[in-house]
Amino acid sequence: MSDRKHEDLPMPEDLPLVELSGVSKFYGNIKALEDISLTVHPGRITCVLGDNGAGKSTLIKIVSGLHQHDAGTFRIQGEETRLGSPREALDRGIATVYQDLAVVPLMPVWRNFFLGSEPTVGWGPLRRMDVRTMRRTTRSELLRMGIDLRDVDQPIGTLSGGERQSVAIARAVHFGAKVLVLDEPTAALGVKQSGVVLKYVAAARDAGLGVVLITHNPHHAHLVGDRFVLLKRGTMAGSYEKAELELDELVRQMAGGSELEELSHELRR
Amino acid sequence: MTVTTGPGNTGGTEEGSGARQPGGPSGTAPAPSAGSEAERPAHRPLPVRLLRRPELGAVVGAVALFVFFSLIADSFLRTSSLSTVLYFSSTIGIMAVPVALLMIGGEFDLSTGVMVTSSALVSSMFSYQMTANTWVGVGVSLLVTLAIGFFNGFMLTRTKLPSFIITLATFLMLTGLNLGLTKLISGTVATKSISDMEGFDSARAVFASSVTIGGAHLQITVLWWLLLVAVATWILLRTRAGNWIFAVGGGVDAARAVGVPVARTKIGLYLGVAFAAWISGQHLLFNYDTVQSSEGVGNELIYIAAAVIGGCLLTGGYGSAIGAAVGALIFGMANKGIVYAQWNPDWFKFFLGAMLLLATLLNAWIRKRAEATR
Amino acid sequence: MHRSRERSRTSRRSIRAMGVMAAAVLAVTASLAGCSSTGGKRAEEARQQAASGKANVTTPRWKFAMVTHSGDGDTYWDIVQEGARQAAAKDNIEFLYSHDKEAGRQAQLVQTAIDKKVDGLIVTLAKPDAMKSVVKRAVKAGIPVITINSGQEVSRAFGALTHIGQDETVAGEAVGRELNERGKKKALCILHEQGNVGHEQRCDGVKKTFDGKVENLYVDGTNMPGVKSSVEAKLQSDKKVDTVVTLGAPFAATAAEAKKEAGSDAEVDTFDLNAKVASGLKDGTIGFAVDQQPYLQGYEAVDLLWLHRYNADMLGGGKPVLTGPQILTKKDAGKLEKLTERGTR
Repeated sequence: MSDRKHEDLPMPEDLPLVELSGVSKFYGNIKALEDISLTVHPGRITCVLGDNGAGKSTLIKIVSGLHQHDAGTFRIQGEETRLGSPREALDRGIATVYQDLAVVPLMPVWRNFFLGSEPTVGWGPLRRMDVRTMRRTTRSELLRMGIDLRDVDQPIGTLSGGERQSVAIARAVHFGAKVLVLDEPTAALGVKQSGVVLKYVAAARDAGLGVVLITHNPHHAHLVGDRFVLLKRGTMAGSYEKAELELDELVRQMAGGSELEELSHELRR
Repeated sequence: MTVTTGPGNTGGTEEGSGARQPGGPSGTAPAPSAGSEAERPAHRPLPVRLLRRPELGAVVGAVALFVFFSLIADSFLRTSSLSTVLYFSSTIGIMAVPVALLMIGGEFDLSTGVMVTSSALVSSMFSYQMTANTWVGVGVSLLVTLAIGFFNGFMLTRTKLPSFIITLATFLMLTGLNLGLTKLISGTVATKSISDMEGFDSARAVFASSVTIGGAHLQITVLWWLLLVAVATWILLRTRAGNWIFAVGGGVDAARAVGVPVARTKIGLYLGVAFAAWISGQHLLFNYDTVQSSEGVGNELIYIAAAVIGGCLLTGGYGSAIGAAVGALIFGMANKGIVYAQWNPDWFKFFLGAMLLLATLLNAWIRKRAEATR
Repeated sequence: MHRSRERSRTSRRSIRAMGVMAAAVLAVTASLAGCSSTGGKRAEEARQQAASGKANVTTPRWKFAMVTHSGDGDTYWDIVQEGARQAAAKDNIEFLYSHDKEAGRQAQLVQTAIDKKVDGLIVTLAKPDAMKSVVKRAVKAGIPVITINSGQEVSRAFGALTHIGQDETVAGEAVGRELNERGKKKALCILHEQGNVGHEQRCDGVKKTFDGKVENLYVDGTNMPGVKSSVEAKLQSDKKVDTVVTLGAPFAATAAEAKKEAGSDAEVDTFDLNAKVASGLKDGTIGFAVDQQPYLQGYEAVDLLWLHRYNADMLGGGKPVLTGPQILTKKDAGKLEKLTERGTR
């Protein structure tokens, strides 16, 4: 895994890992996304912000291979693509960590860690999972991310929400993901746990991954983000570099921008 | 197979180059040096490991029931009696084991009881009507039974309807087909005897013979049962398919998102159930020679009950094959123990229901305890 | 939507795998080279002499309906039907058969027969109270009714012409007497359906006349391994049992198997008859069978209805016509074997 990552690291900075341009998506007559553009570069965090129903989850589904776009282009390392399945997305180096379906709660941590990509030994009917390696790798990989689990055999559902997200991120990093898509990783977490998760996000970035961070929390986004894409009712409401955008402005935009001003006007007594 | 195996990285210690180690944040302990700590095998105390097994409750129940009947029924402890109990338990257990796997995979099968009968009927009638070697009938029966299982799994993954509905439909259709086709082909609702046909004796040896081990008369179904438990446990705990079974039952969306072939796993589980139904069906045929087409109705719930007593969660994602086997043993001991104890059997169903409830509560309690001891 | 594509792809792959497996199994079975030189359909055909069913009467084509309380898949009622159909063929009758083991639904079936304006009705009264009003309605509608099998006590009162069958208690008593003659001491009565009144009556009848002890054992008739192991368990726990009486023919062979397994030397006797019981009688694994001649119940019911319509006759002057109990032993086995395989005994 490490070999793969290192090979890909010295990529020209101008060739994005993932590039969406003018992407649209329709559900029947309903327009879910229209004309969205987005780039993900290695070692950088692109934040996608938006209110509920802004089209964040549709965007995620397109990038992670669950849905296909209806218009526009989707490039992976410069090559135009149409992803057929989450498996295909994974094989192309795009790993997605979902907010609530990141893990199977009743399964032990180590089984979750390798789910879908279990290493095997033996041949034919004796082909079996390499349980020793799986256990050991899980433990060491989690340690590398700074999570010390006493017992990788405990059901992952017994971990805290932040720890679960972190395991999912560690898993994506371990399997050589080049792009990490995170769906609202901090949504259900308290302040402390959110901090934990954001640290792992930053760690993944430092490991050279391109990160797409979907969130509706401008404070979290501004802490780690390098680039910000704002969605509103399925369209792009703005796209900024970190240098162009102050936290206050981001918060204002997220809170509804001019709409908020109207609202405050209405509420004024 | 589209799934690629992850590279067999063992330590990962050499790849520290760009990674900044975020020190143990929040409540977790500060990150120790990765190398030596990671190599430490995770040894948990035995009681904790035992507590975490899904079948613990069932094993405790089985031991209690065994002691109970040994005390109150003096004929219960004889080897001949125990082999009778084992025989009956095995006929339940052969089906309960794959049914447990299916339930771990998050699905139901209500057609299992009649599927066993269908399998026996197909085998018997094909051999008889074609005047074929009975082994030909056995082979055709395997195909037909697997086709039924495939139908269940295929309809389930295709339509996305609940398996309860799909297999309820299969159950009703099979019940009707068993009666209708048997009557149409044989002219009566039971099959004709095939005991005088070629291949019967060898087939009987495989599906319905008995061996004497150390004075105990052991039916071959017990061996089939043990074999199925071993294979199912192997699959569940040591193969990728087992990992997928737990995953599709415990969190199907998460499983799909990481590339687990959900449809294939579920269809495979239904094929497993069908395979066991075929074994049971052939036993029914070769042990009793003729098959009543109305048999088997109601057994599907017994299989499910055995799996649940054995620690399977109705909602999927949790359970074990050994547990289901112990559940079948509990069922067998209770069912026959009542006879050995010379009790009035009118109450048996009540007793069974109460036991099911107790087992489920006990399992839930143990699981809670297990999760608390982490 | 692409998710469904993924699914269909995996399904297609599974189908292909199935196909390969199917081919493999077929190849295996084919290589076993097919045919059995013994038994099977061919042997049956060689045995069979065609029984012709041509009408021999000049009466118009009447419509008779039979509604029974049979459950699904009860071989006993196959034989009753067989008798009824042969009589119907001979008497130029259109014969309709329906059944439901639940009394309420059986009554509804009788009602549909009345609605069809049948020319004669044959009905069983396993649960007389539930059938009372509908049978009376049939009689009121001018449909001649004959009751068969069960309901001898109430047949007359409901307005039926006659009853054809065997009194279950009387049959049980016959078994009790036969057991006395054979010098038995303790009998086990195997009930394969809990809550069936007729079954209770049979066992009670045995109790009444048998000088030894009778014990009831309930088993689940839809689960043969369950039946076998329960009988086995009982025989292992009670060595004094020297007779096992089953209430249905299919369970006799299973009981014999269980007895062998338990190492008991009890005798297996049974109510009713089928091919396996006949061969059991012949080779001595079954002591005796009490038959109530189901073929006769069906045949006579249709024939008597025809006679009644054609000639206003009534056999026995309206008194119940008994078709059993008939005790069958080894000496009857030879000729019975052929008849049971034909499906008429």
